[in-house]
Amino acid sequence: MTDGHLFNNISLGGRGGTNPGQLKVQSGGILWKKQGGGKAVEVDKDDIVGLTWMKVPRTNQLGVRIKDGLYYKFTGFRDQDVSSLNTYFQNSCGLSPEEKQLSISGKNWGEVDLNGNMLSFLVGSKQAFEISLADVSQTQLQGKNDVMLEFHVDDTTGANEKDSLMEISFHIPNSNTQFVGDENRP
Amino acid sequence: GNSRGAAKASSDLVAYKSINDLPPSRDMIIQVDQKNEAILLPIYGTMVPFHVATVKTVSSQQDTNRNCYIRIIFNVPGTPFTPVDANAVKNQSSIHLKEVSFRSKDPRHISEVVQLIKTLRRNVMARESERAERAT
Repeated sequence: MTDGHLFNNISLGGRGGTNPGQLKVQSGGILWKKQGGGKAVEVDKDDIVGLTWMKVPRTNQLGVRIKDGLYYKFTGFRDQDVSSLNTYFQNSCGLSPEEKQLSISGKNWGEVDLNGNMLSFLVGSKQAFEISLADVSQTQLQGKNDVMLEFHVDDTTGANEKDSLMEISFHIPNSNTQFVGDENRP
Repeated sequence: GNSRGAAKASSDLVAYKSINDLPPSRDMIIQVDQKNEAILLPIYGTMVPFHVATVKTVSSQQDTNRNCYIRIIFNVPGTPFTPVDANAVKNQSSIHLKEVSFRSKDPRHISEVVQLIKTLRRNVMARESERAERAT
């Protein structure tokens, strides 16, 4: 087994924003360290249940979904990193990353998909955004058709970020059949 | 309207055709792309584009701790809104993003963003309704 790959300038994304750091992919799993110390994320390869790649402007984003439902997003991979990491993940973990596309049409209507802790908003078959329900402090039903999600105020992930997401709400029309009865609260 | 804008039919609301058309994001902050008539929102580490025609209102507010808040409300079915969006009828049963709210540490940036969105939205709406009128 090779001793892994090291990538500089990989940022970890969260609700509050992103943090730059260094990512190491090795036989035991994935290790990310924040630039200048502090926060670190260590993922054991046996805990990884899914990997995704998404092209974002000028770079690539790796999504790592782990057993307990958490989902990490690392941004900053070059196109050539994607293919070398695909080979590496395949050989060392037996996982082949799935490719996702970012919705760029600018539409605000689509579908909501719930998977583990993640809520994805899809436009067409493309992903507009994903939010982690673990960060949601409160949900509220507003009127008959609107669901509001409020996020924890957390200064650790985005301490150096200017704009951080606080609330998001979805409108679910009566004619929508995806969520009926008790399930209409994502 | 310019030739580029005129070529875009109101029935196909498309902010970007290719991922590489998106502006580079140095910081994860709200951006307004006037050329492509889009706003870009930092949601979980990704800049997510929304066409300005999907925006209904935008407002900002400041609290006592010098935090600034921006609230963007999008068009959803069932509310009286501008009929220029030809897609509205087709997509009535889809789930819609209705509202997002961000906190910012930079009030100047927020007031600039609010102004830019308002102006851009007004210009796009004026152009679209003018075109609709001409078509009838």
